[in-house]
Amino acid sequence: MKSLIKKLVETVGPSGYELKVREVVRTEVESFADEIRVDAMGNLIVRKGEKKGKGKRIMLSAHMDEIGIMVTHVDKNGFARFTTIGGVHPRTLYGSRVRFLDGTIGVIGGERQDNSGSLYKMEQLFIDVGADSPEDCPVKTGDVAAFERPFEDLGNRLISKAMDDRVCVAILIEALKQMQDNDHEVYFVFSTQEEVGLRGATAAAYSIDPDLGISVDVTLTGDTPRGVTMDVVLGKGPAVKVRDSGMLADPRVIDLMVRTAKAKDIPHQMEILLGGSTDAKAMQISRAGMPAGCVSVPCRYVHSPSEMVDIRDVENAVKLIKAIVSGPIDF
Amino acid sequence: MTDIKNFLKSLISMPGLSGYEAPVRDVIRETWQPLVDEISESRLGSLHALRRGTGPDPRPSILLAAHMDAIGLMVTGQEAGLIRFTEVGGVDPRILPGQEVTVHGRELLPGVVVQPPDHLLPASQQGKSVAMEYLFVDTGLRQDELAEKVRIGDLISFAQTPVELAGNVIAGHSLDNRASVAALTYCLQDLQFMNHAWDVWTVATVQEEETLGGGFTSAFELQPQIAVAIDVTFAKGPGANDWRTVNMAKGPSIGWGPNIHPYIYQKFVEVAEKLDIPHQKEYMPKHSGTDAYAMQVAAAGMPTMVISIPLRYMHTPVEVVSMNDLERTGRLLAEFIRRLEPDFIEQIKWENEVSDESKE
Repeated sequence: MKSLIKKLVETVGPSGYELKVREVVRTEVESFADEIRVDAMGNLIVRKGEKKGKGKRIMLSAHMDEIGIMVTHVDKNGFARFTTIGGVHPRTLYGSRVRFLDGTIGVIGGERQDNSGSLYKMEQLFIDVGADSPEDCPVKTGDVAAFERPFEDLGNRLISKAMDDRVCVAILIEALKQMQDNDHEVYFVFSTQEEVGLRGATAAAYSIDPDLGISVDVTLTGDTPRGVTMDVVLGKGPAVKVRDSGMLADPRVIDLMVRTAKAKDIPHQMEILLGGSTDAKAMQISRAGMPAGCVSVPCRYVHSPSEMVDIRDVENAVKLIKAIVSGPIDF
Repeated sequence: MTDIKNFLKSLISMPGLSGYEAPVRDVIRETWQPLVDEISESRLGSLHALRRGTGPDPRPSILLAAHMDAIGLMVTGQEAGLIRFTEVGGVDPRILPGQEVTVHGRELLPGVVVQPPDHLLPASQQGKSVAMEYLFVDTGLRQDELAEKVRIGDLISFAQTPVELAGNVIAGHSLDNRASVAALTYCLQDLQFMNHAWDVWTVATVQEEETLGGGFTSAFELQPQIAVAIDVTFAKGPGANDWRTVNMAKGPSIGWGPNIHPYIYQKFVEVAEKLDIPHQKEYMPKHSGTDAYAMQVAAAGMPTMVISIPLRYMHTPVEVVSMNDLERTGRLLAEFIRRLEPDFIEQIKWENEVSDESKE
């Protein structure tokens, strides 16, 4: 599974520009799908199985997009000013490298600071792609890029940019590959534009009109020195979301996840996230509403170029997702 | 007939936090059942009660939405036998220390909200009201007992009992927005004695305090011709006196702003004036902070309205409303509904410009 994660995280795909990621996913899932389509938002929607008897129509969602930047201006010396796509914080940027869709690499530099201890403001930063003038600059206003940072395998722990949410894309791909046909009709949605407002999932939930919605996304942890006060720990299993700042998970879904994890002896933990939300928020209030919840993968340093996950949490998340969509659901 | 004040007191003695409305929903269902023709639940748990009108098919419908969810607290962890918590909905942490609460663990546990001694707090927190992350709930249980009975995500509800103040005024938690649920009940009781052409959906919505989830989904499912949110609004009180506030005990407020259709506004004012129902105008220049915001753009969109009950000390366990305002709200809604002609919706035209000052 590590090689799949590596392939996914090293692909460039900021929100709205998920094309390359979608092609990687499509290649992986094609032979396992009963139906496959790309909708107007660019979501890759894979159906597996058909609703029978007491089965449910279930939407699983993991977003393909990652945070990134967009060029707003190239100055006379060839330096590119930029704005953000999704929640990029300036403290993660100085000295970082970015890769544009066409492969161009740049480094982020900053203006001289009067006080060397202060944080850069976004407008003090720029991208240097090695150009001397707008004419020889390979990037133009509107071009988009994502962080460039190699995937590192530390054994149990993995580091890369875009673990949010490609690691969960990998989880859904793996769950799809392992899934046996049953009474449920399961839609694996590889969604777009999550980082800019859950936009892909909003449209996909409307068109699929499922009975149950589950997103798979990363969550923060409270296990680093003097970090946020939070009980989620890296390596202690996938987290069952109770709430985040955008959604109260449906108690029936929470119960289903906890019971399934206990029955299958899958390590798990409960999650309350006080900043951020997931595709499940959009699913919950789509049309006339649906029970919705989220399986989270604990992740350190979220929205930095070096996000860390634990492969055991990833593998257990596959088991949990697979078990949920294989067993009876009675609500 | 249900006594509205007693019904309200039972409503605000119930938990039913956002996302977990079942306890209060059961009580509302029981009270509404004899007053309506059909009653059901949405997929998110909102209560949909239909009272059929007498107009010819296909009958238009009006949706009256009052959210039944309440704010409260949620367990985020345990430290040395005490419960750490966060909020469900917006809770003012300044008023929490010393409050009585109920912890909904594997069993119901009484608890009190406590704060550490001032000198043990980080310097940034000393000498002032304490942020929520430094507050705890003490249940009296030993650390190992607590760990067994309480887990992350369990709810904590306010436990104060309702207080009847002088002047037909009531104080308690969750009057936001159970007061409006009681007003809808008053309206339903009035409608028993009225002939109305339109179908009436009274809806107790879920999750308003977090996501307006009930507003979005019930309006989509029922697709009424008009949707009215009934909620509470800021009454004047200590330090609350500007244009964003209305007077308590001077009647319901009739909303005005982008979440409100001006023609519906005008009709509500006409009904109130005709019947001498005291009313006030409330300016809502942005998000009205009510289900109307969601309902207005549900499905293909619909004309929406906001009617509010003035309330002091919002989002504290000692919210205060006047029963007079509550009853006038119920009456105004019923009188508006009985005056809806079968072709009312065709009368609505954006071209009929309604002047903001026409009724001043």
